[in-house]
Amino acid sequence: MRLYAPAPADAVLERLLADPEAGQHFVHVRRLPERPARLVDPPTWLDERLRAALVGRGIERLYSHQAEALEALRAGNDVVVVTPTASGKTLCYNLPVLQAIADDPASRALYLFPTKALSQDQVTEFRELSTAARLEVAASTYDGDTPAPVRHVVRGAGQVVVTNPDMLHSAILPHHTKWFHLFEQLRYVVVDELHTYRGLYGSHVANVLRRLFRICEHYGSRPQLVSCSATIGNPLELAVRLTGRSPVLVDRNGAPSGARTIAVVNPPVVNPELGVRASSARMSAGLALAFLRADCQTIVFGSSRLQVELILTTLREALREGRGPWQRVRGYRSGYLPTERRAIERGLRNGEVLGVVSTNALELGVDIGRLDAAILCGFPGSIAGTLQRMGRAGRRERPSVHVLVAGSSPVDQYIAAHPEFLLDGTPEEARLDPENLHVLLAHVRAATFELPFDSGEVFGPGPADDLLAFLAEEGHVRQADDGRWYWASENFPAAEISLRSAAEENVIIIDRLGDRPQVIGEIDIFAARLLVHPKAIYLHGAQQYHVDELDWAQRKAFVRKVDVDYYTTAELAVTLKPLETFAEGPAAGGNRAWGEVMVSSLVSMFKKIRLETNETIGWGPVDLPELEMHTTAYWLSLDDDTVAGWRRDELDAALVGTGRLLRTVAAVLLMSDRRDLGLVTQVRSPHVERPTIYLYDAVPGGVGLAERLFERHAELVAGARSLVLVCPCTRGCPSCVGPSPDASPVDGKAAAIRLLAGLAGAGEAVSHAARPARGRRAGRPARAGRADTAAVQPAAR
Amino acid sequence: MTATPGLLDRYRAFQAQRAARETAAGWADREVAGGRSVGRARERAARLAELLDGAVDEHPDGLVVRVESPELAVPLDRAALATLPFSIDPQRPFVCLDTETTGLATGAGTVVFLVGLGRWDGQRFRVTQLFLPDHADEPAFLGILAAELPPDAWLVTYNGRSFDWPLLQARYRLHRRLPPAIGGHLDLLPVARLLFRHRLPDARLSSVESGVCGVERIDDLPGAFVPERYLAFLRHGEPGYLREVALHNEQDVRSLARLLGHLGEVLADPDGRPLADPGDLGRLARAYARQRRDEEALACFDAAGATLAARSMPDGPIGLEVLRERTWLAAERARLLRRMRRFDDALAGWAEVTRVGGRAGARAWIEIAKLHEHRRRDPAAALAAVDRADAMIARARLGGRIPAGLEADLAKRRARLRARLSRRRVRDAPAARLGWGSP
Repeated sequence: MRLYAPAPADAVLERLLADPEAGQHFVHVRRLPERPARLVDPPTWLDERLRAALVGRGIERLYSHQAEALEALRAGNDVVVVTPTASGKTLCYNLPVLQAIADDPASRALYLFPTKALSQDQVTEFRELSTAARLEVAASTYDGDTPAPVRHVVRGAGQVVVTNPDMLHSAILPHHTKWFHLFEQLRYVVVDELHTYRGLYGSHVANVLRRLFRICEHYGSRPQLVSCSATIGNPLELAVRLTGRSPVLVDRNGAPSGARTIAVVNPPVVNPELGVRASSARMSAGLALAFLRADCQTIVFGSSRLQVELILTTLREALREGRGPWQRVRGYRSGYLPTERRAIERGLRNGEVLGVVSTNALELGVDIGRLDAAILCGFPGSIAGTLQRMGRAGRRERPSVHVLVAGSSPVDQYIAAHPEFLLDGTPEEARLDPENLHVLLAHVRAATFELPFDSGEVFGPGPADDLLAFLAEEGHVRQADDGRWYWASENFPAAEISLRSAAEENVIIIDRLGDRPQVIGEIDIFAARLLVHPKAIYLHGAQQYHVDELDWAQRKAFVRKVDVDYYTTAELAVTLKPLETFAEGPAAGGNRAWGEVMVSSLVSMFKKIRLETNETIGWGPVDLPELEMHTTAYWLSLDDDTVAGWRRDELDAALVGTGRLLRTVAAVLLMSDRRDLGLVTQVRSPHVERPTIYLYDAVPGGVGLAERLFERHAELVAGARSLVLVCPCTRGCPSCVGPSPDASPVDGKAAAIRLLAGLAGAGEAVSHAARPARGRRAGRPARAGRADTAAVQPAAR
Repeated sequence: MTATPGLLDRYRAFQAQRAARETAAGWADREVAGGRSVGRARERAARLAELLDGAVDEHPDGLVVRVESPELAVPLDRAALATLPFSIDPQRPFVCLDTETTGLATGAGTVVFLVGLGRWDGQRFRVTQLFLPDHADEPAFLGILAAELPPDAWLVTYNGRSFDWPLLQARYRLHRRLPPAIGGHLDLLPVARLLFRHRLPDARLSSVESGVCGVERIDDLPGAFVPERYLAFLRHGEPGYLREVALHNEQDVRSLARLLGHLGEVLADPDGRPLADPGDLGRLARAYARQRRDEEALACFDAAGATLAARSMPDGPIGLEVLRERTWLAAERARLLRRMRRFDDALAGWAEVTRVGGRAGARAWIEIAKLHEHRRRDPAAALAAVDRADAMIARARLGGRIPAGLEADLAKRRARLRARLSRRRVRDAPAARLGWGSP
C-alpha cells in the first residue's frame, strides 16, 4: 500500500531540477560518471578457508586496493589505506589478521578505534568473516563496558582485542604484565579512523603508540601496522607522525561506484531589505521528502542536535499527512541511548529505516551500509568533513545524489557562491605534535611506570635521558646505580592524563510521568545546559518534552511529554578574563603577552520560537552555574596609535579577521588542530583597556601552546599577513579572514590587511616599554568580547 | 592540572645546565653513570643490612639483604586445620607471606621491595625477610625469592589472592621469567571476614589480631606510610627510614601465623571450641553448611550453644547483644536441621526461637507453620502457628514498624490453609491427602 512511486535517486534529482519552483535554487550541479570496479584475484597464498569464506560472502575477487594492501603487508611493510567510506577497508586488515591466525593460531592482533560503538561493529564483522572461514578466533572488545570476569578472559585468551586509545593508555599498557600473552604474540596493530587522531588528541595517541611499541619490543614482538584513514590532505604524513613508522600508502581506490551527482542549493532571499534567506533546515527537509517519497534511503545531516530534531519533526509531520512511511524516518545523535542507536544502525543496513537525520555522530565509520541520497544542511566547516558526510550515500550499482544546502552564515554563502572551493579544493590537513613538551613528559612518566628506561633509550625523537633527568628533579623518576631510569613514586601516572579534553560526564534525561520513570537519553554536561535547562522544550526522536527540573548536582533532568507549537533555543556567552601575566613584551603596533586566563561559558537566557514561522514568541532566564576553565592564553593588545581613527565596526571586523588568520597560522606552526585553540577578540579589553586578540589553550590547564605562540609572535603575524595577501578571494573567504556578511558595509579582508600591516612592519622601529602588568589581576570579566565558541563547547557529536 | 608557567622555559634552562655539567665533567664521569657503580650499591645494601642486623646476599645479577628473625614457638595443629572448610592441605609446607610495596596501584610500576616469609619447623616459627636494596637488584631479588619458596608451598596471606601474589607474579612477568610454582594459597582475609568481622570494627589484619588473638601492636607504622619510607631510602640512601617498615612486616607475618594457629587450636579442634567465641563458631558452622558438611556444622552450632548457655546461666537478665546472638544461632541451627530433614528437631529449634518474640519470633512461627503444613501434613497445627505469628506481630507493631512482606506472607498462608482445611472437611481425608502432594 504505497502512495509513493519508487524511483532512482538521480531521477528524483532531475525531477527537482526540472521543477520551476525547486529547480531555481540549485546553484551548482556536478555529475560524476559511474566508475567500474578494478578487481584482482585474491593472492594465491591466501589460506583456502579464507578464500572459501570470501566466496561464501559473494566476494570472488578483491578490489585492487585490498590486494595491494595485502601484498604490501605480506612483504613485511606497514600500510596506510586511504580510500572513501565503504570501499571495503576492513578487509584490508581482517584478511591479513585471519591469515596470520590461520598460519599460526598463537598470533594475536590489537585493533584501535576511536569509539566504543565502532569497536562493537568491528567485532561483529570480524566474527562473521572468521566464522565463515571456520576459524575459531577469540575476538572481543575490551573497554569501559567490558564486565570484570570477561576482562580476565580477554587478557589471557583474546586473539583479537578491539579497544580504543584511551583504554590502551589507562588500562592495558600500565598492566602489561597481565597481557603478556597478547604482547608476546602480537602480529598486527590496526589503527582505523586515523584522521580522527589529530591535534592535541592525536599528539597524545602518538605517544600512546610509542608506549605500545616499546612494550611490544620488551616482549619480543614487532607487530606490523595497518592504518586506515578517510580522505584528508596529508594521510601519509599523518600516519608517519602518528605511528612513528614509515608505512606504504595505498590510496588507489579499486571499489566501484554508481553515477554520483553533487549539487549545491542556496535557499532564496525572502527579505531583501534584511538579506534574510529561507531556512536551510526547511529546504533540506523538503529535498529529503522528495527522495523519501521515491523510496530512496536518505540521510540528512543537521549542524546541531536541535536542528536534527527540527528537521526530523518536519519530515515526520509531512510524511504523516501524506500517509507516508513516517515511522521509518529516525533521528540519530549523541544523547540517544546506545541500544536505540544500534537499532537505527541495524535498520539502516537492512532497509527497515528509510531515512535518518543525524548530527556528525554518523560521520565516523559506523556501519550503516550505503544510502541513495545524502543531504547536508549547512557546510560542515571543512572539506574533509563534507566528503565524509557525502560519502554516506553512494551505492555500487545504483546512482546516488549528494546535496549541500547552504545556510545563511557567511561561510555557507561563500561556498554557495564558489562551489569549486568545496568540490575542487584540497581536503584539510591533519596535524599533530607528539613532541609537545607537556604531552611528551606526561607520557614519558607513564612509560617509565610501565618499564624502566635504559640509559640512552630512544623515545620518540631521541634519547629520553634529558626528559627523565628533568622528571627526576621533581622526584617521580630516579636513575638507579645501573644507569637505568625507574619509576619511583606511589602515583599512577596514566591516571593523571586524559587523552581527550571533552568532559566525560553526562546528564541523564528522565521521563517521570508514564507508568514508571524511564531514562530516555543522556547528554554531555556542555550540551545539557543548552538543551535541558528548566522550561526548555527538549526534542527526542521528534517527540517534545518539557523540562520540569534540571537537578544539576545529581546530573538529572526530569521531563514530561508535551505537544506544543514552539521550540526553545538557549544562548551561550563565552567570556575570558586574564588572571595572571607570565611574560610580556613589546610587539609592532602593540604588546604581546601570555599568561593564565579563566574562560567561562554561561547560558543566561532562552528563547521560545514558533515552529511554523520561526518567530520569537517569548523568552526566559536560565539560572545555571557558569562552567569555568583555567588555562593559558597568548594575547596581542593593540596600541591606540595603531588603530587611531578606526570606526568601531571596522576595528571589530579587523580583530575578528586577524584573529582567525592568527588561529589558522598558529595551528600550522604548532602542528595542532583548530579545535585546540580558542579565539576571543575584544574591541576594548577590560583588562588592558585596549583592543585585544586572545588565543587560548582549549584544554584545562593548557598544554603550552600559548607559550609557544608568545615566543613565535613575529612568525605568527608574518604568516597571517602572507596568508591573507595571497588569498585570491575579494572580501574574505573561509580560508582567510572568513567571508564578510553580504549586508555588512565593512570589508573584513581589507580591514584585516590594514591591521596586519600595522602589526608586521611599519611600527617595528617604535618600541613600547613593557607595562608592569605582571601579576595584575583583572577586575571584571570581558563580557563585551566576541568569542568563537567552537573551542569551548565541543561540536555536537 | 593547573597552568604551569613556562614549562618550556624551565626545561630549556635545565637542558642547558645539564649539558654544561656534562661537558665540565667530561666523558669519564659519563662512563660511571652509564655502567653500574658497584661500590655505591654495595655500600647502600651494607648499611641496610647493618641496621636490620641482616646480611647481604651477593648474586650475579644483584644484591639482596636478608634478615632472619629469632625463632618463636607458634603451635600449629595441622590435622585439625585440615578439617576446616577452607583451602588447606596439611601435607604441604605452609609459608606465611606478606609484601611491602611502593604503592597500592597494581600496575607495572609498583615494585615489591620487601617480602616477609614465615615458615614452621615443627612447632618453631621463623621469619625471613628479603629486602630489595635498589631497583636495579630486582632480578636477584626475584631469583632468591623463587629459591626460598618450595615448589609445593602452601601460601598463607592476607588479601594475597588479589594483591600480594598477583603483584609478585607481575614482577616475574616484567622480567620475562616464570613466576614460582606453588601448591596452593590460603587467603585469610575472606576467612577473617567470614568468621570474625561480625564483632570487629574492620577486617584489617591488626584489628583481627587484637580482637581474636588478643595481641596489641605498639607503635605500629600505618601501612599508608610504607611506600614513602622506601622511596626516601632510595633517594637518600638512609636506611633508618626502613626500621619500622621491617618491624611492621615482621609483625604482619607473625600475625598470619598466630591467626592460623588460632584457627587450628580453637576453632577446628572440638576440644578448643569451648574457648571460642560462640558467634565465630556460628559463622564457621555456616561455612560448613555451605559445603554440605552438615554434621560438622551441627557440631559447631552445638558447641556455640553450649558456650552461650554457660555464659548466660548466671543471675537474671541477659544483654541484648547476647540475646540477638543466641536467636541468630538458634535460627541458623533450626534451618540446618530442617535441611538435614530432622523435622522434629527443627520444630524444637524454631520453638526455642519463638521465645524471643517480636519479628524474629514471628518468622520462627512461620517456619513452624511451613513444617507443619508441608512436612507433617497438619494444616490445623500450621494455622495455629500462623495465629501465633499474627499475635506476635500485633504485639511487635506497638514497638516499631513491621515489614509489609511479612504480613502479606501471613495473609496468603492463612487463606491457603483455611481453604485446605475446609476442603478437608468436605471430602474424606485420605483422598484429599493425595491432592496436596509433596511440595
